[in-house]
This record gives sequence, structure tokens and C-alpha cells, in this order.
Amino acid sequence: MKPDRWLDCRVLVTVGTGGVGKTTIAAVLGLEAARAGKRALVMTIDPARRLADALGTGPLDHEPREVPRERLRALGAPDSGSLSALMLDTKRTFDELVERLAPSPEARERIFANPIYRNLSDALAGSREYSATEKLLQVASDDRWDLVVLDTPPAAHALDFLDAPRRLSGFLDGTFLTLLLHPAAVVGRASLRLFRGGSELVLRALERVTGLEFLTSISEFLLAFEELLAGFGQRAREVARLLREPSCGFVLVAGPDLSQAKRAEAFWERLEAEGIHLVGLVLNRAHVWPGAGAPPEDDAAAAGRAERWLAEQLAAVDRELDANAAAAALVAAVRAQAALARRDASVRERLERALPLESDAFRTVPLFADDVHAVEGLARIAREIFGASRGV
Amino acid sequence: MKASLAELVSRRLLLVTGKGGTGKTRIAAALGVLAAREGVRTVVVELGDSNVLPELLPPSAPQRRADRDREPRPVGENLFSLSLVPEAALQEYLELQLHVKLLARAIVGNAAFHRFLDAAPGWRELITLGKLWHLASLEDGRGAPRWPLVVVDAPATGHGLSLLSVPSVVLDTVRMGPLRRNTDRVHELMTDAARTLVVPVTLPEELPVNETLELRARVRELGVALGPVVANGVEPELALAQPERALADLARLPRGAAPSPFAEPDVVAAAARHRLARAATQREFLDVLARELGEPPVRVPWLASGVDDAAGVGALADALRGALA
Repeated sequence: MKPDRWLDCRVLVTVGTGGVGKTTIAAVLGLEAARAGKRALVMTIDPARRLADALGTGPLDHEPREVPRERLRALGAPDSGSLSALMLDTKRTFDELVERLAPSPEARERIFANPIYRNLSDALAGSREYSATEKLLQVASDDRWDLVVLDTPPAAHALDFLDAPRRLSGFLDGTFLTLLLHPAAVVGRASLRLFRGGSELVLRALERVTGLEFLTSISEFLLAFEELLAGFGQRAREVARLLREPSCGFVLVAGPDLSQAKRAEAFWERLEAEGIHLVGLVLNRAHVWPGAGAPPEDDAAAAGRAERWLAEQLAAVDRELDANAAAAALVAAVRAQAALARRDASVRERLERALPLESDAFRTVPLFADDVHAVEGLARIAREIFGASRGV
Repeated sequence: MKASLAELVSRRLLLVTGKGGTGKTRIAAALGVLAAREGVRTVVVELGDSNVLPELLPPSAPQRRADRDREPRPVGENLFSLSLVPEAALQEYLELQLHVKLLARAIVGNAAFHRFLDAAPGWRELITLGKLWHLASLEDGRGAPRWPLVVVDAPATGHGLSLLSVPSVVLDTVRMGPLRRNTDRVHELMTDAARTLVVPVTLPEELPVNETLELRARVRELGVALGPVVANGVEPELALAQPERALADLARLPRGAAPSPFAEPDVVAAAARHRLARAATQREFLDVLARELGEPPVRVPWLASGVDDAAGVGALADALRGALA
């Protein structure tokens, strides 16, 4: 899909391993949507302070902050377009969820007071990922936005967040959970079926290993959550559905090195298996060759000729310059740039072969030497992705 | 702390972390290689089964299936590697505690227990730390440590901090029982500066540097000692005495007359400007690091040949050796 068409999605999700620039690309997508006259919201995990400065939103938090109108106008956005950003807050999202789903104020307070909840809601398996998708569900049904861009949390496996909803729903019908929550039921005759699969044996053995107190505190935690679990499961299924809708597009962001390319290929396989729509790939921070055409192959003889010619020419225009030394340093810089550009081009070729995307769905964003977190940097990246026609 | 190799390899547990994309896995592998070269029997541990680490270390001899998940694989003289998978570590732990293999297998194989584990908080972190403690505590026949040094490719900053904070959460909520005793031992190892260090890896750029400084503050709060900060990928400066003057001169040269694309003035100027600007950005953030840390970071040069295999890690280890000296 051509990048212009990416913006027709209702939800765009940027995925990729940590450090590839997902957040920056997410901001660029939102900015470009605003310039196309859409009302866009970018949800991020941990925005660079300078990114927030560049957008003029002030420090980001859990509520959407709007980019000032003048700033958007300066970037060529029509008045119909808008851009807001918010920072995902796992604890707050969970707190909100508990507030909404708790059947009574007592149930709510029991959860908030539970030490495991207080300390671990951040470490709860997949909670960061879950909170991102939960928030997505909230805003996706909000008609204040035409497009929501979700910048996914960095994770060892960048697609962990696809599993988070499933984990929580699988958790619901767990026999084991029932045993933990209602230890008394185990002795009741009616619950004999729970013994199937040896769950009770398992529980007893675990008690020997961990101690009763640990199991009790886990039980209390789960007991406090029990009344909410049905609501959790429902939300989890809705998120799973939303992410697979045709109006939800994933943009894979990759860095230009071999291991990153391999991981991008693994993501693609996973996305396809999950029935998720990949709309494009951004190869970010790639070295480009500043000359015309492809970067030349390295050639020591050609480099030697280049150095001699450059030294003569520089000496001719500037007699006070140490022309030989300057020519040597300059040619070394050019050769290094060519080598990097060749390597990054080969990574791109590899990805093009591996991923079944149209060629214009592959975008390369050069590694800019200076700060990309300023607003001009974002505009430059937008030009690289969306082409000069839409450029500022 | 003083960034000498001897200081680092005298520890028992090095937890290498940092923002994604900073090269922490490669630095962890290189640290392992360096320690092994110093004659310290070292195991480099990757968390999970992403299998990135094995590509970066020399190939190992095939292993018995039963050992693969729990026994470090020899990959060189004094050098071993292990992929630590929480599920496997849990089974091993249960076997050790229950003394009945079959029972442990029944627990781990129980479908209901599996669904519970999938959602249960914190146990992956806890069992991971438990296995690291176990590795660090094993002794050979003569009472000497079996693995004098364990180098861990720890999760990136956020998840890394969750990992480090789990023992104190457990200690807060569990007062007695076997879990308490085991967690006490783990916590004791982690907070002993003579044995355990967190080694943050960063790039000399804005986002990774900010994240490193935040990491440093949080790690201190947890009572875990910080080792030297490794600034990875430090690019070479352009060896140009008067860069602006040379660039101005370049602008006056004839176009299209160069004997090779390596001398075309516009191309040369673009490459030179790129290099100068990159170097300036990197210098700025190396300075920020030095100022905030109160000492210069360990500067590991960027390697043009890339670090994609065991040979690359060997070269990185050489570079790291030079940076630590």
C-alpha cells in the first residue's frame, strides 16, 4: 500500500524492536495525517522530551494533548486537520479499568489496596502491552479522531502485545484459578471434576515449594480481581478483533542491520499468522549515498586516484590548506559512507525479497546526522516517507 | 566506579542492560569473551529463547536434549552460553525442591497450571533471577564456584527494571516459607556490590543517553550497584584540520571532472558534512554522560565491519578491551 493510503486506516500500529525509531515514525504518521486534513491521535509509550517540545504539546501524559494550531499551520496542515498525543500509563489504564469494571466501591478499594496490585500491576504479565491495547480500544471508538496511531511498547518479542489479551482471557476459565480462589470447593463433592488433570496435586506440590503465604497472597490478589475478570476477557476479545480489522494497518519499522532485518522477517511471519494487515515497512536511519545512483563498489585504486585528484584540485584553489591531508580524510569519509550505504541497501533488498509488499510500501528514511526530534526533523522524515509532493 | 576489566571480571554477576538497539547483547557477548580470555570461566546468559546470542558466539558441540535448557553449553575455552527459558527453569526448580522429577513434570505439564502461569504476575522474573543465583552459587568438587562469572544479556531498560524490582516486591508481601528464603538469597546476591553489577549500554545519542541516566537513578533506588556505563558505537571523527575551510574549498572545485565518484566534490562535501554533524552530536552526548556520571563513560568505537557473528564479537571484545584499559 502506498504511504498516502496508510492514512486511510482508522488505526495504524507501529511495530519493531526497541531503538529503531518507532515513536518518531508514529509521530510523523500522525503529523502527516493532520496535514491531510484528518484529526489524528498518537499514543506513545515514552516520548522523547524533545519530541513533545517539537510538537508544542508540553509534557505528555495520560490525556490527549493537542498540538497548537499555529504549529500545524506552519507545517502545512489545513484547519480541518488536528494532531493530539498522549503517553500511555500502565498503572493509570489499569486503575481506570478497575474503576469501570468493579461492581462495587468495596471491590474497587480491595483491589487498589492489594500489595501485589500496587507493586506489580506494571510487571503483571503483559500488562504494559495490555494497557496499550486497552487504551487503543477506548480511543478507537471515540469519534473525536479519524486516525489513531499506536506506538507499541518495546518488548523482547515486539509482538508480545498481541498475546496479552489472549493471556488474560485464557486465564479466566482456568481450573487452577478456581482452586486458588475457592480452596474450600476442592473438598466439596460437587467439585470433584476439578481434580481432572491432577490440578489439586499440582496445588499441593506448589504449596510445598512456595509456602502457604505466597499462595494466599496470590489468591487474595486474584480473588480481588475475580469479579472483574469477565469484563477483562470481554475487552480482550474486542481488542483482538479490532487489531485484525481491515481498517487497522501495521507499519513495521526496522533498523538497517542484518539482525534487525531477520527480526523484521520473523515479525512479518507472525503478523501474517495472526491475520493482521501489514501496510508498509519503514527502513529507518539508513545510510544513503549522496551521489547519483547506487553507491559505488569499493575500489582502492579508484580511491587512490580520487585522493590525488582531490589533493591537486584543493591545492590549486587554496595554497594554505594541507591539501594532501584534507584529501585523505575526505576520501576516507566518502569510502566509509559508500560502504555503509551498500550494506544498508543490501538489507533493504533482503527485506524486499522476504516481505510480500508492493515496492512503494517500502520506505527508506536516511540517518540524519543532526537532531530529528525537532519539528523540521519530523517534516524531513515525512518527506522521505510520503514523497516531496506532500512535503512542507 | 573505576572501569577496569579486572574490576568487572572479579564480580560474580554482570547484568548488561540498556535501551533497545544500543547493542547490549553484543556487549554482553564481548564481555564474556574478554573474561574468558582472562582465564575466568564464564557463562553468558540470554533470557528467553530468541537465539540471538548463539549466532554471536562460536558454535557449540551438540548437547543432550535434557541438558539444553539448564546446562551451559561450552562455546570456547572458559566460555559457555545458556538460553534461560523461565518455563524450563521452573521445572528444574520444582525438581530440585520436590526431589521428584515426575511430580515436577506433572505440574509444568498441567494445562490449568499453564493458563494460570500465562497471566500470573512476576514469576518469570523471579524464576529467572533464581536460576541466575543458582548458576552463581553452584560449586565444583573442591568448593570453588563452578561459574565464577555469569554475564547476563538482561532485558532492555523498562523490563530490565521490572526484573530487578521483583525480589523486593516478593520480600514485601511474603514473610516466611521456602519462597521467602529463596528470594532472600537472590536479593542478597543482587544487592551485594562486591558480587553484582548492572552494566548499562548506551549510544552517544539523545534518547539512549536520557534513558541511561533514568536507569541509573532507578537502579540505585533498588539498592543494586552500577558498573561503568558503556557508550557503544562511538563513530570516528573526521581527521580534517580545518573542516569549514576545506568544505568552502570543495565548493569551488569543478563538477563532473573527478576521476572517480569518490572525489566528486558534492558527494565528498555531503559525506564530510554528515560525518562532522554525526561526530558533533555524539560528542555532545558523550559530554552529557561524562558530566552526569561524574566520569567519562567507557567509549567503545563503532566497528565498520559490523558485529553479526563470533568474529565480529571477537573484534568488539578487542575494542572493549582497549576502551577499558
